[in-house]
Amino acid sequence: MTYKKFLTGMVAGLALSLTAISAQAGAVLDKVMKNGTITVATEANWAPQSFINDKNELDGFDVDVAKGIAKRMGVKIKFVTPAWDIITAGNWSGRWDMHVGSMTPTKKRSEIFSFPGVYYYTPASVAVHKDSKAKSFKDLDGKVVAATTTSTYELYLKRDLTIDAAGVPEFKYQLNPGTIRSLDNVNTSLDDLRLGDGVRVSAVVGSLPSFVEAKKNGYPIKVLGDPVFYEPLSVAIERGDDELAKNISAAVTAMKADGTLSTLSKKWYGVDYSSTK
Amino acid sequence: MLYPDTVEGDILVHKPWFVASMFAAVFVIFFALDLTGTIFGDLMRPAIGEPSQSGLYGRFAVALVTAILFVLNLVLIGFLPLGAQIGVVWVELLVLFLSFFYTFNLSFSFIAQKVPFMVTQGVFTTLYVSAVSIFIASIIAIIGAVAKLSTNGFAYAIASFYTSFFRGLPLLMQVYLIYLGLPQLGFVVDAVPAGVMALSLCYGAYMTEIFRAGIQSIDRGQWEASRSIGFGFALTMRKVILPQALPVIIPPTGNQFIAMLKDSSLVSVIGVWELMFLARTLGQKTFQHMEMLISAALIYWMLSICLELIQSRIEKHYGTRSSR
Repeated sequence: MTYKKFLTGMVAGLALSLTAISAQAGAVLDKVMKNGTITVATEANWAPQSFINDKNELDGFDVDVAKGIAKRMGVKIKFVTPAWDIITAGNWSGRWDMHVGSMTPTKKRSEIFSFPGVYYYTPASVAVHKDSKAKSFKDLDGKVVAATTTSTYELYLKRDLTIDAAGVPEFKYQLNPGTIRSLDNVNTSLDDLRLGDGVRVSAVVGSLPSFVEAKKNGYPIKVLGDPVFYEPLSVAIERGDDELAKNISAAVTAMKADGTLSTLSKKWYGVDYSSTK
Repeated sequence: MLYPDTVEGDILVHKPWFVASMFAAVFVIFFALDLTGTIFGDLMRPAIGEPSQSGLYGRFAVALVTAILFVLNLVLIGFLPLGAQIGVVWVELLVLFLSFFYTFNLSFSFIAQKVPFMVTQGVFTTLYVSAVSIFIASIIAIIGAVAKLSTNGFAYAIASFYTSFFRGLPLLMQVYLIYLGLPQLGFVVDAVPAGVMALSLCYGAYMTEIFRAGIQSIDRGQWEASRSIGFGFALTMRKVILPQALPVIIPPTGNQFIAMLKDSSLVSVIGVWELMFLARTLGQKTFQHMEMLISAALIYWMLSICLELIQSRIEKHYGTRSSR
């Protein structure tokens, strides 16, 4: 009797886990609504987007946006914190329903994810050494310009950038670097730049917030001109559940309309990144 | 010393040639390193004036004094009995080590604020994950060892394939493979069970080999004698082979326990909030990584020391036969 019960339990469990992976349209949304909880994946290692605060809880811009979406969908929220490469590997198999972690909606990624809500834009800017005499992007023609390897900034310098998301503003290739130096990350580029104007590099293309942060920490740099393009950052879900996408999309649109996003952006960045200007 | 004996000899650190060459070597190193900019330079201020302007003379004086102190320390410790020597050297190394951390200008209030959470959440999860894994790994290891020693072709093939595969892959890769791969087969496992599974399988493979070697170290005659008086396989194992193999198996198994405790940090990549995960994330916002990494390092170390002590007690218990 008990053995039989055990066996039925096993089979039921197996069946349950099998249904979980074959996501039908609306299946994820149905699950979320039935449980009354949406499980959100985000990083814990990326201030001020998402980090662990003084009270040892997750906090940050992305976390607040996720909470806002859950509130507007009328469900409770639960966070999980897998590493970034685990999230981008896809095959979430129902472990979490949504990713709110500043993902750029690129073409490659849209093969496995859909991006229902762009909730802010990171301006890509050009930073130069504070002693630099460059007054416009023209002055950087033929110079050495650095960017992070495989980033959108490097693709921009190589004139090979495509961002396929709704609402991406038009951009023009305004830089004619002599040499593109691809570096490990933005801090390496800035460490090269701080050595002096043109010592290793003459300019760095990267995200405006990271330049602002570096300047605050004493890096001798300044931002040249206006942002060269805007990188949209979006909520990501696995492909195949249009109903869930519609719900999230509606929530993000509502948060944009009532000014929640711009308030949150000002709270965490001090600047409104929720729209392009 | 491998075995204490009664052969008398001069103590190495009291031989004049050793003291002299030690002094010369240390002096050269300290002189080359130029200690005037460190705390030693500050302490010598009355003799050499402003350390940064003392030049070659200051460098020489500081190196000389520190080298004399170093060698004096060495000679004095030589006079102590063995137990006291070990104690003094331990304390000295510990003080050096901690003062090294102290120079990082750590914010102790931040550490004090975060340590309770690191213990209740991080240490708890780390211990829980390691304990469950080590338990499962031990069971796998016993089965694996018996299978590797059996004359059954299937059992041997499966066991040797298993040890070869799981010892041949990096543990981190196994964590990824199990966490990302199992859902493809229809089994969605959560982060903690996936981590426990990876740790158990990997350590089970290592411990299989340890157990096998331990069992094989028992003389063939024991087996033959036991069989000849009519004991079956299981009885021979339980009553004759394993009791003798245990003292051989225990020390390397203890090593595996300690290694497991630290390797459990690898499950942080799949988002388990254990000690390593918290060490990496708690200090992010305020750029206080060093504080958290050092606190976590010390906690791991203390946990390992506890395991070391337990291991040495067990070894003593089993080692009584070979001591006089």
